[in-house]
Parts: sequence; structure tokens; C-alpha cells
Amino acid sequence: MADKVELWRWTESRWTNPDMDWKGKLITSGIDVGSVSSQAVILADGELYAYSNMRTGSNSPDSAMNAINWAMEDTGLKLDDITYTVGTGYGRVNVPFAQKPITEIACHARGANAIYGNTVRTVLDMGGQDCKAIHCDERGKVTNFLMNDKCAAGTGRGMEVFADLLGVSINEVGDLSLNVEEEPDPVSSTCVVYAKTEATGLLREGWPTNKVLAAYCSAMAHRIITLLERIGVEEDFAITGGIAKNVGVVQRLEKEVGIKILRTEYDTQLAGALGGALFAKVLHEKGK
Amino acid sequence: MIEKFKDWEQNRHEYAKEWKERTGGKVMGCFCTYVPEEVLYAAGVLPVRILGSHEPQDVTEPHIFGMFCPFCRDCLAQGLKGRYDYLNGIMIAQSCLHIRQTFWSWQKHVEGLEYSKFFIMPHKVQSKDAPEFLRGEIEEFVAEVEEWTGKKITDEALDNAIAVYNKNRELMRKLYDLRKDPNPPISGEEVMEISMAMEMVDKAEHNAALEELLEWLPSRTDKPSGTRLMIVGSEDDDITFLNMVETSGGLFVVDDHCTGSRYFWNQVEPAEDRLMAIAQRYIDRPPCPTKDWEERKRLPHIVGLAKDWDVAGAIIMQQKFCDPHELDFVAVKKALEDAGVPTLFLEFDVTVPIGQFKIRVEAFLEMIGDEDLF
Repeated sequence: MADKVELWRWTESRWTNPDMDWKGKLITSGIDVGSVSSQAVILADGELYAYSNMRTGSNSPDSAMNAINWAMEDTGLKLDDITYTVGTGYGRVNVPFAQKPITEIACHARGANAIYGNTVRTVLDMGGQDCKAIHCDERGKVTNFLMNDKCAAGTGRGMEVFADLLGVSINEVGDLSLNVEEEPDPVSSTCVVYAKTEATGLLREGWPTNKVLAAYCSAMAHRIITLLERIGVEEDFAITGGIAKNVGVVQRLEKEVGIKILRTEYDTQLAGALGGALFAKVLHEKGK
Repeated sequence: MIEKFKDWEQNRHEYAKEWKERTGGKVMGCFCTYVPEEVLYAAGVLPVRILGSHEPQDVTEPHIFGMFCPFCRDCLAQGLKGRYDYLNGIMIAQSCLHIRQTFWSWQKHVEGLEYSKFFIMPHKVQSKDAPEFLRGEIEEFVAEVEEWTGKKITDEALDNAIAVYNKNRELMRKLYDLRKDPNPPISGEEVMEISMAMEMVDKAEHNAALEELLEWLPSRTDKPSGTRLMIVGSEDDDITFLNMVETSGGLFVVDDHCTGSRYFWNQVEPAEDRLMAIAQRYIDRPPCPTKDWEERKRLPHIVGLAKDWDVAGAIIMQQKFCDPHELDFVAVKKALEDAGVPTLFLEFDVTVPIGQFKIRVEAFLEMIGDEDLF
């Protein structure tokens, strides 16, 4: 039997800044153990030095260790060289080597500020398990926030379910969903299980894959808009988290909200860990 | 010192059964804090508040609509499961539709009640005719209770009931005043135990325990600490939630709940016409949203509490699907935020999703404090 292709599996990655020598510098890190993915970001004197981005396993402490070990790979860094670590995300209290846990809401706001610049006032963090709309000031400090309720619709996990159902790699979902002549009506956005049932029905009716994906990306965008409407969108507007990489959702969201969404070369999944690592530096300097 | 209240709250049924045995009196289960308890107390009846147990259950599905609040379901489950089998009567003062359904269902399906009373509490307490109307209802209620218990409710008995209840309210206000201190001697979780016990035990016993507590508290050494918070909303006896917030860096210093300050805030002003004095007290009390119209009088009261207790933020909670509170939420949030008090809104169910609430609460605490991070 051929190996089963795991279509939901997004690309894991790591990176080291080749032009930087960490020796003699203050090393801080942020570890974001999310429900779906875990990231480690390492800063040298506050500058991005290395990171990793991988899938979260069933055990949060192990996921945190795996992420930091992968980020440190080939750098010569050891855990002891890291002066201060902030844990964030769903598993923030389960990062064994962290000095302090901080919520991913605070970390994503701070991370978005670093990635997109200090003009960002609204951050939408679209994660694996939940979705958060965050307002922040010019320092990246949270001034207000709102989270979605207990449902996977509108989250990365929901998108994984759809990639699997439709036999499409999760990395291609966005592009494919845009390849439709006419925008279909969205599927149900209340519940990912209902949405899946509805999509199965559409496939039976003969809808092509890309049209069903369009209907789901559109549902996700509508779902998020109800969240944004409750808190309001102030410019500049940026998205963090894995769904920010899905152009099918981002473009539809941009169209519906009517506000340009900032783009970046950074991996948007890193925002939380990056914010954590930046907080780690300040906390160390203040002796907290 | 606080253990006593905790014991009462956690062993509420044992207390009531033991009280019955000790006094030979009757116990009345009440569904709403608008019940004029002074009348019952004067007749030697122990009024107890019926609350849920925060356990998932499967017995109320045929009796309560799906979009009614979890609290009314949880309360009815207690009745259907026989946990209140010692009650001689049940009573509701007209309040929201959801808890009324619990009352009607209980009346129909739980056996062994001698007396059940749907007390007509006017919704429009702001009407100029409300006190007179309520007085009439109380008069009728007095006659019914006399017939039920076979006891005459004398002026002396009413005076005594008013005095005991007023004392309780006065002591609770003193307890709340201690929480104005920059280092309050008591946590919100502990106060919740005390105020829940207050709705379950003989007020005279509660008074004695409160007096001891108030004497001891100023010398308490292990005082709690945390970011000063207020909690506003519907019925709330969720000790697990308060514990989670207070172990995450928050400290509740004041509340507006019917399982809290709304229940005891104001006293009966003694007058010759005792029934009118009682009626006036229930008309004037800090209102529940079902009673708070056409003018929204809750708002200045809530903002006043936030100012006087110097809170850094407010958690606005409600039972899921609670329409009266949901309707009030927008106005309460605006009033508090206009007064410079940031808010966090949460919807409660029978069990608390601790993980999901914890992230919101921690982020809220980081938002209103933690300049250390910048």
C-alpha cells in the first residue's frame, strides 16, 4: 500500500541568519506552543537570529523542546546560552525552560508590531484552534481584544479538515479557491462539521474542488468578519498566524472589510514567538 | 474563620435538614432574590436559595427549552434528582421567563410540596404605583403563609425579622467596605462563599459568624493580592471561575450579582406600616435587568461601585442565553468604559471552560497592567 499523503500537513521550516554571530550577545527566546503548530524564535541582542516552525505533538513540553532544539540546530547554541525565555500559546505554562508565560494575545500584538511596523493598530491572529482580533498601540501593547467562541469553524484546524476532505494540499488551498469564475455562496460557518457535511453534498452535486474551496474560504472570511465587526477595524490592519498564508481567505477578507491588509516577507506563524522573545529581552533587562 | 461559611455553602442540604430537625420549622426554596423573605422568616420558615450544582446532567431536556439559560436547567435538575427533597414549599418572585419555567416544572414534577407560590413582583418597579401594588401582594402572601404554617405573623415577629435581615445587610456592607482597602483582607472567592451561605442559612446564625469574621479580618496576615477587579452580571455562584481568576493575578473586590451585592445592598427602613416598609425595600434595591426600566438605574450604581472600590477592570459575565443581561451588556460595557474601566465579557455555562476563559482573563490582566513588558 502506498504511503498516505497527509494533505493537511503544512511545510515545517527553520532558518538561521547566516550573517550574524551570536557570541557575546544577549540571547533571548520566545516559544509559542499552539494547538496545531509550535515555533521557537531566538534573538541575539534583540535581532532575529534563528527560528523554527513545526507541528505541535501531543505533549506540550516535548513540542517546546523540539522547537527550540531545531531552531538551535547547527548554530552552536545550547539551551544554557539562552538568558531568558518567554512561553506563549496554548501550551505556555508547559515550556520547561521558560522563565515566564505570557498570553499569545499580548505576544501576537507585540510580534505584529515588530513584523509589520508600529503603525499596526488591528491584528487578526488566525490560529489553529481559535481566532483573535486585537487592537494595540504604537508599542504593540494590547488595548482591546476579542476571541471567537468554542468552534473550529474559522480556524486552521477547520482548513485542515477541508484540505483532507478535498484531497488538496493545504499549501494550495488559497490559490485554488481563487480560481473560480464566479464566487459561490459560502457554506455554513457555524460549525466545521456542518460545513464539511455541506461540502460533501456540494461535491455530490458535481461542484469542482476549487469551487467548494472557494465556498469554504468565503465562509471563513464571513465568520471572521462577524468577529471584526464587534471590535472594529482600525488601520493599519495586519494578520498573523497560519491562515495569513492562505491567500483565498486573506483576499476575501480584504474585499469584505474594505481595508488593505499589510503584507510581509516574514513567516506570519512566527509572530507569537517573536513577540515572546522581544518581551523576554525587556523582562531580562528590567530584572523581572 | 471562613471555613464555617464554606461548610454551609458546600453542605447546604445537610444544613437545611439539620435546621429542620433542630427547630421543627418549614423550609422554603426560593428561585429569585425578589422574594420578600422577611415574611417567611417572621413565620419561622427558613428561606433558602435554590442554586445549581455545576454538574452536567440529562434530566431537564424534556422540561426546559434549549435556548433557556444553563442556570435554570441546573436548578431544575436539583429538584428532579431529589436533592431538595426536604423542602416544604417553593416560591418564585416574578422574574425572568427562564427561571419561571424552572418553577412551573418543579411544581409539576417534583413531589412532596405543601405550598408553592408564584409571587407577583411587579416588573415595572419604577412605576409610582409599584410600592402600593407590592404592599398588597405582600399582604396577601402574609395571609397565605399564616394559613400554611398555622402561625400568626405578628408585628413583633415582623420587627424581629426586619431587624435580623437588616443586621445581615449591615454586616455584609461592612465586609464589602473592608474590600475598599488597598490591601483587602479577603478574596472574591471567599466572599462568594460567604454570600452564597447567606442565601442558605438562618440569618441570625450568619450574623453571628459574620461578626466574628469582621472582628478577625483586620488582623489577618495572609491577605490576598492582585489586580483589583469587579464582576458584574447575572446569577453567579461559579467559585471555580473566581478561583481561576484570583490564581492568575486578579482580585475581585466588588460585584453586582444577585448571588452577591444585589441581594443585600439596601435595608428595610422601619416604619409603622411594616408591609409597606418591606415593599419599599424591594422596590428600591439595586435592580436586576428584568426590573430596570424605563430608566436604566443599574448603570450609575455599577459605575459608582467601580469608582468607590477603585477597580482596574470589570468582568461582565452572564449565563449563556440570559436575555435580560445580554440586553444590558452593551449599556453596562459602555458606561464602564466611558468611566475609564476596561471590560471583559464572558458567557457562563453549567461547567466553566477553564482553559478558554483563562487565556481571555490573563490577556485582560496583561492589557490593564503589565507595563513591565515595554
